[in-house]
Amino acid sequence: MAPETFNLSQGTPLLAHSFNADRSQVAVSFNSKDAQILTRSGSSWTPTELLAEHDKVITSIDWAPQSNRIVTASQDRNAYVWQETPDPETGKIVWKPTLVLLRINRAATYVRWSPNEDKFAVASGARAIAVCSFDPENNWWVSKHLKKPIRSTVLAIDWHPNNVLIAAGSADMKARVFSAYIKEVDAKPPPTVWGSKLPFNTICGEYTSPSGGWVHAVAFSPSGDAMAFASHDSSITVVYPSSGVCTVKMVSLPAMTLTWTSEQSIIAAGHDCQPYVFSGNEGGWEGVGTLDDVTGPKAGGAARPGVGKLNSAAFNTFRSADSRGQSSSGAGSEVQLLTTHQNSITSVRPYEFSGGVVSKVSTSGLDGRLVIWDANEVSAVSTKLGGLSV
Amino acid sequence: MSNALRPYLATVRATLTAALTLENFSSQVVERHNKPEVEAAKSLEVLLNPLVISRNENERVLIESSVNSVRLSIKIKQADEIERILCHKFTRFMMQRAESFVVLRRKPVAGYDISFLITNTHTETMLKHKVVDFIIEFMKEVDREISEMKLSLNARARVVAESYLTAVRD
Amino acid sequence: MEGAFRKIDVDIYDEDVLQEHELYEPDSRDPAAVLDDARAKQTSVRSALNKGDTVSALSLALSDYPFGLNVDDAKVIALQVVLSILNTTKSTDIPNVLKALTPEQHDVLMKYIYKGMASSGSDVNGNILLDWHEKLTEIAGLGCIVRTMTDRKTV
Repeated sequence: MAPETFNLSQGTPLLAHSFNADRSQVAVSFNSKDAQILTRSGSSWTPTELLAEHDKVITSIDWAPQSNRIVTASQDRNAYVWQETPDPETGKIVWKPTLVLLRINRAATYVRWSPNEDKFAVASGARAIAVCSFDPENNWWVSKHLKKPIRSTVLAIDWHPNNVLIAAGSADMKARVFSAYIKEVDAKPPPTVWGSKLPFNTICGEYTSPSGGWVHAVAFSPSGDAMAFASHDSSITVVYPSSGVCTVKMVSLPAMTLTWTSEQSIIAAGHDCQPYVFSGNEGGWEGVGTLDDVTGPKAGGAARPGVGKLNSAAFNTFRSADSRGQSSSGAGSEVQLLTTHQNSITSVRPYEFSGGVVSKVSTSGLDGRLVIWDANEVSAVSTKLGGLSV
Repeated sequence: MSNALRPYLATVRATLTAALTLENFSSQVVERHNKPEVEAAKSLEVLLNPLVISRNENERVLIESSVNSVRLSIKIKQADEIERILCHKFTRFMMQRAESFVVLRRKPVAGYDISFLITNTHTETMLKHKVVDFIIEFMKEVDREISEMKLSLNARARVVAESYLTAVRD
Repeated sequence: MEGAFRKIDVDIYDEDVLQEHELYEPDSRDPAAVLDDARAKQTSVRSALNKGDTVSALSLALSDYPFGLNVDDAKVIALQVVLSILNTTKSTDIPNVLKALTPEQHDVLMKYIYKGMASSGSDVNGNILLDWHEKLTEIAGLGCIVRTMTDRKTV
C-alpha cells in the first residue's frame, strides 16, 4: 500500500504536527506564529480553527490524547495550553489558551506532554528545560527548571513511561536523562534501570554523540528501559543503561527526529527526506531499510528506476551537460526528488498501534507534506547516490 | 563542461548537500533574535568545521556551515591579468545586485572572489536540492562566462589592431 | 571615555557558554608521545608501502591519529604520511582499498582528504584527492562528510 500523502500547504514548511486521539484532527505549525487545526474530511484536510496567541514562529506542538489539550511552544519564549471551552457569550465550543509561566528568556524549542498528561516539559534555548504542572489556584501552569549541566540549546525531549524521567538532547552534543519528579504531582516512582532515588534534577545518564553532532532527537523505548538519540553526525545511538551503548553510523544525511515502533525497532527521518528503519537489541543495531520505496513508480511523477535519487529529467540534463558540453537551460524547473517528501522531514510520530507495536507512523516535512506510512512496509535502501551526479 | 571539472564540481555538490542540513535555530545569545550563526559566530558549539575543496592553488571553494546557515565562498580561476580584471568586474557587478540573487552575499570572504550565504529560510522556501543545483550551475557558468569575455575581448583587440594597422599600411 | 562600557563583551562572563576546548574529549596522550607515535608510524607505513600493502599502510595511518591542540608537528607528519599513501595508490585500486577499511577509518580518511585540500602545499595534487573523495563518498555516503564537519577532533 502506498503511503497516504497530504499536501497541506503547497510548500510552506510544516515545523510540527500532532494528531488528536481518534486521528480526525491534526494541529500543525505552518512555520508561522499561529497553529492551525485541520479536520479530516475523506482524503483531504480542511482548516477549522486557528490558535493565535504567539507572536513568533511556533516550534513544537503536542496534543494530549486523553485530556484533549494542546500545548504549543514558540520562539517568542512562551508556551500556551489550549483547551476546548464554551464561549461565555455564544456558547460555541472554542479553543482557549491558558497561560504558562515558563520563566525562560530564550526561544522555546520543543514541547511534550508527560504520559499521564498532568505535566509537560518545554525545551529552550535558555540552556534549560521547564517542567510545567498546573496550579489550579491561579488557573495557570507553573514551571520548575532543569538547568545543570545543560550547556547549550535543548533541541528535543521525551518522557519516560513512568511520568518522571525525561530524556533531553541538546546542541552541546549530549543526550541526558533527568528526573523531572514533582512532589505535588507525582507518586513516588518505582526504581527503574535509570536509577532508584530520583529527586528533581537528578542526572541519571549523560551520553555524548559519537562524532560531535548536536543531538536532534531523543526517545525512550516503549518499556522505558532503553533510550535512542539521533545526532547531527548522521548517527543513531541506542543506550541501554545496564549493558551499554550501540551506535549506527548512517550513510545518509543526519536524522532530525525518531520514534520507537517496538522494543526492537526505530524509525528515524530527517534531511534525507525519507524515513529509515533500524532494528536491533542490546547486542547491536543496524539499518534495515526505508519506508519510502524510491525506486518504484510514483503517482504524479514519471520517475523511472535506475537513476538513483534524482528524477531522470535532472539527471539527463546534467549528463548531457557533462558529456556533450550542452548548457542545461531551464534545469531546476523540473527537478524533483524521488522521495515522497521533497524537503527535510521535521517530525515523525506514531500514528496507529496494533498489538502493542506501532503499525503506522506520520511524518511532516519542510515541503508542507503530511505523510502516513505503514511502519511494516520496509524496502531496501537504494545505494546509488544519484544526487551526486554532476 | 570539461571532464576535468567534473570531480571538482561533484565534490562541491556532495559537500554542499551535506552542509545544507539546516534548521530554524533561534539565537541563544540575543533574546528573540534569529540570525545566521555562521555570521554571528557567537556560539562555538553550533558552528561546524569549515571545509575547503580545491582543484589547485587558484580554484577553491570554502564551505563554512552552522546550525542554521552555510557560507560558501568561491575562488574563481584567474590565469592572467585580463582574467583577474574580468573576474573582479563580473563579481562586483553581481554583488551590487545581490538581492536579486537571494543567496548572494554582498561581500566575499577574505581570500575569495564571491560568497553565498544560505540560511534555513532559503532551504525552507526553495527546495534544498535546487539551491545546490543553482550553486553548481553558477560555478559552471562563471568559468565559461569569464573565458568567453576574454575571447571576445581578444577578438575585439584583434579587430581594433587590424583596422588600425590597415590604416597605417595605407 | 564615557561609552567605553558599551564595548565590553559581557557574553564572555556567562559561565554556561561552551569554550572551544570543551567541545571534545582531549587526547589522553602527552603531546611529545603523540609526536613520537607519529614518527614511528611514518616508518612503519613506509615499510608497508614498500611491500605494496596499501590497505594495512592506510589503516595504520588512520588509527590513533593526532588531533586537538598542541600537536601541530605530529599533525603535519600524519598528514604527509596519509597523503603519501593517497598519492601512490593507483586510481583503479582505490575502491578495493576503501572497501577494506572500517567505517571509523572512512571518517578519518575523509578528514585527511579535506585537510589535504585545505593545506596549500605543492606536494598536494588536487585531482588525486578529488578522485579519492568521490570514491569514498560512493562507499561511505554523505554521512561521512557530515561527520567530518561535526567532529571537533580535527586532524
